[in-house]
Amino acid sequence: MIRADAVVLRYPNAPAPAVQGVSFAAAAGRVTAIVGPNGSGKSTIVRALLGRLTPEDGAVTLDGRALTSLSRREVATTIAVVPQREEPVFPMQVRDFVALGRYPHGGAFAGRTDEDRDAIARAVARADVAEFLDRPTDALSGGEWQRVRIARALAQGGKAIVLDEPTTFLDIAHEMAVFELLDGLARAGQAVLLVSHQLNLVARFADHIVLLHRGRVAAAGSPAEVMQGEVLERVYEWPLVVARDAAVGAPVLVPLRGRGTR
Amino acid sequence: MPPHARPTQHHRPHLAAPAPAAGRSRAVVPASAALLVLASACAILTASGCSGAKESRARVIAVDDFGDTVRLAGAATRVVSLNPVTTEFLFAIGAGGNLVGRTHWDLYPTAARDVPDVGNGMQPNVEAVLGQTPDLVILYASASNRGAVSQLRAAGVMTLTLRTDHVADLARIAPIVGEAVGRRAAAIATADSVSRSVDAVRTRPRAARPPRVFWHVWDAPVMTIGRGSYLSELLEVVGAENVFGDIEAPSPQVSLEEVVRRDPDVVLAGPAGAATIHAHKGWAAIRAVREGRVLVVDTTLVGRPGVRMGEAARHLRALILGDTAR
Amino acid sequence: MTPAASRGVTLWVALLVALAVAVTLGLAIGSVPLAPDVVWRAMFGAGDQASVAIVQNLRLPRVALGVVVGAGLAASGTALQATLRNPLAEPYLLGVSGGAAVGAVLTVIVGLTSPALLPLSAFAGAALAVVLVLLVARAAGGRADPRVLLMAGVVIGAFCTAAIMVALATAPENTVRGALWWMMGSLGDAQWSGVRWIAGYVAFGIVLLVWWGRDLDVLSLGEDAAASLGLDVERVTRRIYLTASLLAAATVAGAGLIGFVGLVVPAIARALGTRTSRATILASALAGGTLVVAADLVARTALRPTELPLGAVTALVGVPFFLWQLRVTR
Repeated sequence: MIRADAVVLRYPNAPAPAVQGVSFAAAAGRVTAIVGPNGSGKSTIVRALLGRLTPEDGAVTLDGRALTSLSRREVATTIAVVPQREEPVFPMQVRDFVALGRYPHGGAFAGRTDEDRDAIARAVARADVAEFLDRPTDALSGGEWQRVRIARALAQGGKAIVLDEPTTFLDIAHEMAVFELLDGLARAGQAVLLVSHQLNLVARFADHIVLLHRGRVAAAGSPAEVMQGEVLERVYEWPLVVARDAAVGAPVLVPLRGRGTR
Repeated sequence: MPPHARPTQHHRPHLAAPAPAAGRSRAVVPASAALLVLASACAILTASGCSGAKESRARVIAVDDFGDTVRLAGAATRVVSLNPVTTEFLFAIGAGGNLVGRTHWDLYPTAARDVPDVGNGMQPNVEAVLGQTPDLVILYASASNRGAVSQLRAAGVMTLTLRTDHVADLARIAPIVGEAVGRRAAAIATADSVSRSVDAVRTRPRAARPPRVFWHVWDAPVMTIGRGSYLSELLEVVGAENVFGDIEAPSPQVSLEEVVRRDPDVVLAGPAGAATIHAHKGWAAIRAVREGRVLVVDTTLVGRPGVRMGEAARHLRALILGDTAR
Repeated sequence: MTPAASRGVTLWVALLVALAVAVTLGLAIGSVPLAPDVVWRAMFGAGDQASVAIVQNLRLPRVALGVVVGAGLAASGTALQATLRNPLAEPYLLGVSGGAAVGAVLTVIVGLTSPALLPLSAFAGAALAVVLVLLVARAAGGRADPRVLLMAGVVIGAFCTAAIMVALATAPENTVRGALWWMMGSLGDAQWSGVRWIAGYVAFGIVLLVWWGRDLDVLSLGEDAAASLGLDVERVTRRIYLTASLLAAATVAGAGLIGFVGLVVPAIARALGTRTSRATILASALAGGTLVVAADLVARTALRPTELPLGAVTALVGVPFFLWQLRVTR
């Protein structure tokens, strides 16, 4: 669904590209995760998908069509990007907030069509935010806020959803809830692409992981393939071991205490 | 302020040493501080130093309207007049030759244009004034001139600050100004002649009902003359009534509707003001404007209580009452 | 009708009634006491000449200008606060007031008294400053970044202030008071010929902003969120910024600098419960018109016969309101 082929991304006036020759594919029906240390280029890729950075080389395609050939509206109706942080300066009701997801579909004065209403209702159901609809957005907890933002993204009606660090600042319960939600979306046929720090949760929920290091792909594949001690240690520049979590049967990364001690 | 005067010696005020640039070098700060102390000491010593024999020749002319004592050794021969009233008065008493400086706005009489222009009369450019090496500077008694008076006196130049706000002020200041330039008799005579010409208008027959006048000074905001102003006095002289004569302030700001309410018989304005009144439909709410009674005043003539007050009064009377008798 | 809908209707009715009351009082009250029926008839040209002249030439254009200026400033402030995502944004921060003041002050001190020239030069000055802010922001690298725009606005504003100070320092003394008076804001120069133009311009500007209401809703979510919803952030920010600023410039041209309206009224409208940008803009326009007419009434009558500067009255009203808002939002 979302493909990147040898994409090179450079910030204006930067001496070196932030992303060099990265290729990956986020297919429908599965969860694809992009992971890597700070500065490895993860958020830069999200920027490119938001249209805020044009690839210097290589191409990004959505369902086979080049990203650069699509208008912003067409992109918005095909994929929905949930940015890392969002804080509306004026609080609004959740129902209005989710309804804004239909913006790319309507004109300046488009009223709510039946299609809009259905899309919103489905999004609300899938993200399980029906109980908050009448609350203002500044009266939500971190986890609830995240689900509401995902609801809006779903209301956009696209085939893919891209999330940039969706679980920062969330506690265990909310974190798990979000990942379960993303897993459910993937099972229902969406292409889910997420950027995350949470290697351990990613290892449990993602079907495909792309590990980035300094703008290049260091490893790509299933969690078992990518979660290897040597490559992770090299990329994260910290001593660690990869264990097998007996309870859930997924690889677990365990960072060791500082170099030279014990 | 030291009242000592050295009228014939041009004395530049001492300037303190400039403040050192912060953090450049440790040695600069104490060195500059020492210089500062030294310079200040010199200034104090010379300022309070012996003034010599010249001081005993300086006599008191008057205490001026700022409360300063005015002393001069002899007639002032290099006078800077920072007030159009005193400029034209000096010319009228034959002392125009003593003038070495006037304000930018002093254009009467024509001969005044040959006197060097030193800028504003309010908050004057002290340096430009000092550049004319005057022995006397005459200023208008406005609070904004206090700084200039201090600076001039500190530089050793005598100042004479006079209020020229009312009809009676000319007769009041005439002896002082005359004494300062050695033409006391001529000054008193001139002032008398002006007073008589004003009285001549004052004593003319009055109309049974004094015409009620609104004097337009400015229109954004709408400003007029109050009881305290010279122009209001002038209206009394010619036998007219200022519709805003109940307000004390010399130039109060009023609302247009209030002018409509007071229903003046006649509106007086300068040429620019009259043009605005006719262009702006809001003014048509005033009956006098609708009935075409907007009279244009010669603002260069009636602007100040100077030597042409009599002529100004006659001009006004002719305008308002149609009375052209001399 | 659902409770929410009936609350909505109540809101609009209340706003319209408030505006009607303010306009009525503004027409009925003034230095010259006129009975209400006299005022009513005078509006249509019937009655004695003095009353007709007062009502038609003085009070009507004044009240009309007040409504137009208040609506324009409030709508502009609403749009800018959403676009710049900052509840403290208002048109004056972005060069409008500085540029207009430079244009107007220069005209006053040079002594040009044609009634049309002052508003035109104020508008030209404001428009120039608005464009300069955009250019400075672009040169600083942030094309649609609200923070960069606001900083550019502050820079241009400071430059304009310096220019005004130089102009006033070198101006002939009798013109300084007039220049200062203009800067303090007043509806006193209202004339139908000018008010017609400004009313047309303001109406057009408000219509445009209402048209782009959905864009405003999306923009206020944040740059990334707006981009993800398919909005061309840079272009939309620029066009709303220009429209809102020029709208404010038109009001400044007609009435000088009337502060706080663009800042405070949008907060009032939002506090009244409007949910979309469209509704907030319209509610702001109504509330803004009401506020300015009411403030003008106070300015005219508080210290008779002296007329207080309108900008001072709106600030006096605005400040305590603003402090109350700060407390409430904390």
